[in-house]
Amino acid sequence: MDKQHYLMNAGIPLQIEASMPSPWTSDQSLSMDHHFDSSLTSAAFALRHLIGKLDRSSPAALPSLAADPGFAERAAKFSCFGSRSFNGRTSSPGSATPGQSMSALPRVASSPSLKLNGSPPPRNRKLPSSGANSNEESSVSEQIPSSNSRKRKSASRGKNKDDRSNSAKEAEEDENLKRSKQTQNCENEQECNENKTNQKPPEPPKDYIHVRARRGQATDSHSLAERVRREKISERMKLLQDLVPGCNKVAGKALMLDEIINYVQSLQRQVEFLSMKLASVNPDMDFNMENLLSKDMYQQSTSLPQQMYPLDSSSPAYYHHHQNVQHQLLHGTNISSVDPLPLDATLGIQIDGFAQNLPQQFPAFTEDDLHSIVQMGFIHNSVQNQTSNMKVEL
Amino acid sequence: MQNSSSSSSLMVKQEFFTKWKKGLKIYSAFNKEMTIMERKRAIKLSADVAIASTRSATTQWSRAVVAEVSSSAAGAARIAAEEILGRKLSTERRKAQAGKKIVRRRRKAAARGAVRSSAAAVAKKVVRNRRRVLKRLIPGWKKLDEICLIKETLDYIASLQVQVDVMRHLANAGETLHHQQILL
Repeated sequence: MDKQHYLMNAGIPLQIEASMPSPWTSDQSLSMDHHFDSSLTSAAFALRHLIGKLDRSSPAALPSLAADPGFAERAAKFSCFGSRSFNGRTSSPGSATPGQSMSALPRVASSPSLKLNGSPPPRNRKLPSSGANSNEESSVSEQIPSSNSRKRKSASRGKNKDDRSNSAKEAEEDENLKRSKQTQNCENEQECNENKTNQKPPEPPKDYIHVRARRGQATDSHSLAERVRREKISERMKLLQDLVPGCNKVAGKALMLDEIINYVQSLQRQVEFLSMKLASVNPDMDFNMENLLSKDMYQQSTSLPQQMYPLDSSSPAYYHHHQNVQHQLLHGTNISSVDPLPLDATLGIQIDGFAQNLPQQFPAFTEDDLHSIVQMGFIHNSVQNQTSNMKVEL
Repeated sequence: MQNSSSSSSLMVKQEFFTKWKKGLKIYSAFNKEMTIMERKRAIKLSADVAIASTRSATTQWSRAVVAEVSSSAAGAARIAAEEILGRKLSTERRKAQAGKKIVRRRRKAAARGAVRSSAAAVAKKVVRNRRRVLKRLIPGWKKLDEICLIKETLDYIASLQVQVDVMRHLANAGETLHHQQILL
């Protein structure tokens, strides 16, 4: 996977919008946390059964799923979509509706960034609820009836979610979501031996008791969700490896992260340095060079700097000629009437200032114009001035 | 594969370059009065906004860059940014989104209690610290979580590479032309 894969990533279509938002849409209030904390209710058993079914089906399915290279990506995106709708309802009212936003392809890339909002908030919200629970000593039996109704709601919602999933992908996604839900439950359950995230809080015993019934089943989904998540992360780390030069040799997360950090820092420093350099070099040449370099960009030639150097050896008369041409251009004369070396004209640097350049240059030189001009200029160069080193690939 | 990747990054480069030029155009009228530091800041700001706008607010870091510019830019900078983005900048939105994740982080930090000293735990600690450092480098890091961090880093690195590439070409060409000018 290289840059291109990453840049084209947003093109993966997603069709699960309809099914995804629903179970999460109402998960806004803090009371929803009790869904995850409660147990020992019939509804909890129902949900557990549902999860168990998924778990039983998933171990067989998961390896093949995980083997699918696109799966991790899809999983990421799906869960992000789920969390996006979650986030979309919770956060800014000004944000687009999930249906509308998810239908736009460019938004796909944004959803992973909102995955943060999706997964940690459920995790997070259990903390306040667990804190609240621990404060109340008599809470176990009290909480059960109240959470009982909520649990039923979540179970029914889960079933609705299942009903609405149309494709296999969506079913997978539901599994993932449920698994991640369970995972987060298990996190709260103090399943801390494998620290998948580094911020797993120890759960007060009150909630531990609450969720104990689910724990047996949850371990499976926990590890499965953990595996999915690790797959996701490793997939992305591989992409990063391709992007960051020199990352292929190092193995292990710490060293790779080190390389990535160094690379990002160096890139940022380069930007600073280059902008300073451009500021110092620039005042006279701004838009000429920009036109010039638009050519370079189009042809993706990194050899431009080297090809510039042969110009040094071009005859001074030639260059003066360019400057004259440039002057004429500055005064707005027709290009065709000028001696047709307009490319060299752009190389000519006798620019008095930006303001003068601007109205004349920009109407005169679009990139396409420049391209054709270059062609003309090249032909005329070789014919008229016998400067064969004027290899203007510009 | 290399060709297609280079072609897609070429498109991004062109887009960035065009937008950057647009931003620089705004400053062109002031060029004579600006000091070199001001010019540098103008160039950098135009470049940052341009490269962020190539992502068109799909990523967290691009949104963060635009938000930072919209909240702290003045005068010509603001006009340049608006010109590049093609829209008006809003100044108030940052605070509304800032709150929720900070709460989460504080709670997790408070709840973490156990001391783990095994090798694996030490390794995890190292990794976690590095992730934290990496996170701070990316604009808009406050709103990034572990998974999103990697994706954002990917995108950010790719965009930085585009930015550096274009700027380097421009700087090299300018330097060469400058030398030629001096020579003659």
